[in-house]
Amino acid sequence: MTTNTPAVDVQTTQPAAPRENYLNCSSGFKSWALTLDHKRIGLMYLVGTGLAFLAGGVFALLVRLHLWEPEGLLFENTAYNQIFTLHGAFMVFLFVIPAIPGSIGNVVMPIMVGAKDVALPKLNLLSFYLWLIGAILAAAAIVMGGFDTGWTFYAPYSLYTDQAVVTIGLAVFILGFSSIFTGLNFIVTVHKLRAPGMTWFRMPLFVWAIYATAVLQVLATPVLGITVLLVAFERLYNIGIFDPRLGGDPVLFEHFFWFYSHPAVYIMVLPAFGIISELVTVHSRKPLFGYKLIAFSSIAIAIISFLVWGHHMFTSGQSTYAMFAFSFLTFFVAIPTAIKEFSWVATVWKGSVALNSPMLYTLAFLVIFAIGGLTGVILGALNVDLHLHDTYFVVAHFHYVMMGSIALAFIAGLHHWWPKMFGVMYNEVQAKIACAIIFVGFNLTFLPQFIMGSRGMPRRYATYVPEYAPYHQASTIGAMILASGVALMVFYLIASLLIRKKAKENQWGGVTLDWQCPTPPPHLNFDDEPKVVHEVYDYSTLDYDSMQRDCS
Amino acid sequence: MINYLIQNPQQQPESDIPWDGVPAPEIDGFGQLPVQAATFDHVDGLFYFTYAVCIFFFVLITGVLLYSVVAHRRKTWDQKPLSNVTHNTPLEVVWTLIPLIIVMIMFAWGFKGSLDMTTVPHEAQRNTYKATAKQWSWGFTYPDGTSSLGEVWVEENKPVQFLLESTDVLHAFYIPSMRVKRDIVPGRYQSVWFKPITKGTYHLFCAEYCGKDHSRMYAKVHVVDAATMADQPWNQVPASDDPIEDRVAYGKQIAKTLCASCHKITPTSTVNTGPSWLDLFTKEGDNYVGRPREVIEGGETKTITIDDAYIIESIKSPAAKIVAEEPYNKGGMSNFDNLDDPRIACLIDFMKSLAGN
Repeated sequence: MTTNTPAVDVQTTQPAAPRENYLNCSSGFKSWALTLDHKRIGLMYLVGTGLAFLAGGVFALLVRLHLWEPEGLLFENTAYNQIFTLHGAFMVFLFVIPAIPGSIGNVVMPIMVGAKDVALPKLNLLSFYLWLIGAILAAAAIVMGGFDTGWTFYAPYSLYTDQAVVTIGLAVFILGFSSIFTGLNFIVTVHKLRAPGMTWFRMPLFVWAIYATAVLQVLATPVLGITVLLVAFERLYNIGIFDPRLGGDPVLFEHFFWFYSHPAVYIMVLPAFGIISELVTVHSRKPLFGYKLIAFSSIAIAIISFLVWGHHMFTSGQSTYAMFAFSFLTFFVAIPTAIKEFSWVATVWKGSVALNSPMLYTLAFLVIFAIGGLTGVILGALNVDLHLHDTYFVVAHFHYVMMGSIALAFIAGLHHWWPKMFGVMYNEVQAKIACAIIFVGFNLTFLPQFIMGSRGMPRRYATYVPEYAPYHQASTIGAMILASGVALMVFYLIASLLIRKKAKENQWGGVTLDWQCPTPPPHLNFDDEPKVVHEVYDYSTLDYDSMQRDCS
Repeated sequence: MINYLIQNPQQQPESDIPWDGVPAPEIDGFGQLPVQAATFDHVDGLFYFTYAVCIFFFVLITGVLLYSVVAHRRKTWDQKPLSNVTHNTPLEVVWTLIPLIIVMIMFAWGFKGSLDMTTVPHEAQRNTYKATAKQWSWGFTYPDGTSSLGEVWVEENKPVQFLLESTDVLHAFYIPSMRVKRDIVPGRYQSVWFKPITKGTYHLFCAEYCGKDHSRMYAKVHVVDAATMADQPWNQVPASDDPIEDRVAYGKQIAKTLCASCHKITPTSTVNTGPSWLDLFTKEGDNYVGRPREVIEGGETKTITIDDAYIIESIKSPAAKIVAEEPYNKGGMSNFDNLDDPRIACLIDFMKSLAGN
């Protein structure tokens, strides 16, 4: 750590004046726009990715409304194709990938390792601005006529369609660099800025998860960047790489794309696992069961995830040997994932289980992720996948993982660290109601999709054969319920910032460093350099007084 | 045989939906899969095996979880946990190894099944069809070289192979009831095979996103007995001296499977990719008179009168004369060489039948 002494805030003599923290230490537009504070950057990410999530959600609602009728309710086919593409692209590139590392990871991870900031604060700000440019370009692509390729940009269709593919490709390219820089930053931070006594196996599991994610971001994202660049070159200069008319190979595109996008699934889901690990232990007030196995399983998932991309291509005509290897490794990756789920449940077992809103969201995650993970096993079986591939069964499966698990973990984490970030508490009753609505709405949306998928309903259909109508309609009703739950959540979270009901100094009784520093944290996180002397999650050290004291 | 093509006399006369008249497939006893009409029963077997395993683990996980949440919930704010156990090596070994064994069984079962599905038996190789996918229709060529569009006939209990080719972008050949799916990659051949065992008509979907009318890229698969096959129902094109109603009905059948995804063929249709067919001709007495139309030919805009020759040219080489009106003036229609003259003649009769008075 550097030896620079922080600008120590002298304890003011008037008791009424609030303690200086990272939110009130400076003000004005420039103090945010040019901030190097990881917490402020994290909050800007939170606002940005949150808006992207809401935009993606609106697109999802339009999709669901349109599918109320077999012949479609709202759009002609090109418009529908653009809407589902926008839903996928916004959710994946602007929300699910950056949201947890960018917002919660940024705010919490450096505090958890006992650092004053990330290792490279300026790079951190650059990451955010690259995200912002990517988001603006994505919005510009809509204005320029939209794009209808699906978020996967499969060639050769993406080479032929007359829409704004190059613009959105550029957005994805830039967003990729944002992701790489964040990953790089976090790797260096974890290696270099851990506080004295913070050994690798005293790191909270959220840090392990963010670390494994960061490695994936740095190693996998360049392949995506190169791939969209090649698509742009091919569109602009007719260089034959993926277009069979120019001697290219469309299957090569699929290989390139999934070589990134499968690890990307774990770029998205590992931080979610990290959040759940933290929340399960804090709200059960019990050390995490199988800490080391969970930490190693994050690393195992990160490694194996590079070797399973071909399971997205079981129907593409790849060789039998490739199918053999990809299916085998796909089943293999199920094991570390199952270990995590079992360990979380074992942590809750005989704990002191608090049924507050972060824990309810966590429980919802555990149930939904069990379904999402287990249905992935069904899809891993080669001959079964030949029937289910590209149907709504797959759509339901990955929404159980992407939305039901990752987004819910993000929401759970947001509720967990909200009092830490802002020093205020939201309305717990409303939060519990919203959690119940979201849980019911989510399952009503996606359970029917499993059924119609296994019955043969292909995905990305603007119109469909009428026998699937009851399932589509149930799904649409579910989506409305889900949306109203999210709306309630947005409402009470924003309201909490206006009502300003003070949070406790240690709202939930956590023992990791993020609950040792003042609430909200000061500009440089700790008043004194923290020293870690206990094992992680040692609840015998919990200072119960801090749970009752209002934050300053 | 003509009646066979007209299919369902009760259907709404103005419909342009390609799957009209195809019954919904029956669903099996568990309510998850369409009843299988081919011989790949290992798909269903493994599907339900993994399903059962998933339900077992789901009940186990959520059961333990809910029990813990209820039994060990925090009643006072400073309550301590009942246990501070951090790990249990035997338990962790067990819950690593048992799932590992189970998924390896699934893997072996699934791989063996997929070999069965990708290894084409000799009998199917001797009964090879070609399926040509294009945006957004299906064409089929039979082993004897005859062809059909938008629907295909296969013989009951006779293994069949489909050689798949695409003339433009990625598509996928998917018959849910037969449990077959294969991506179709432009520039290479792929193949699937199956042995249909139940007579009936089944859905063939395009399962790989291929652009605007992906969801309309549909064909009917008829599984029929050998006697019906011998009649070549796909080859029963009405001749010029057949009743005009039969010719119009046949032309409409082609239009619904090939043309209606881009051209408006019913007053209620909202399709607008290509020019509408409703105003091509007017009826004067017993004669149909082509309307004048502005077209672009070789960069020059000129006015022509719509006639049979213009329509035939527009089907076979659509780029020759492009309709000058927005938004059709960009062209973009692919050619339909596989439509032969007798079929085009029926199609023209259908177009004329759309004429207003």
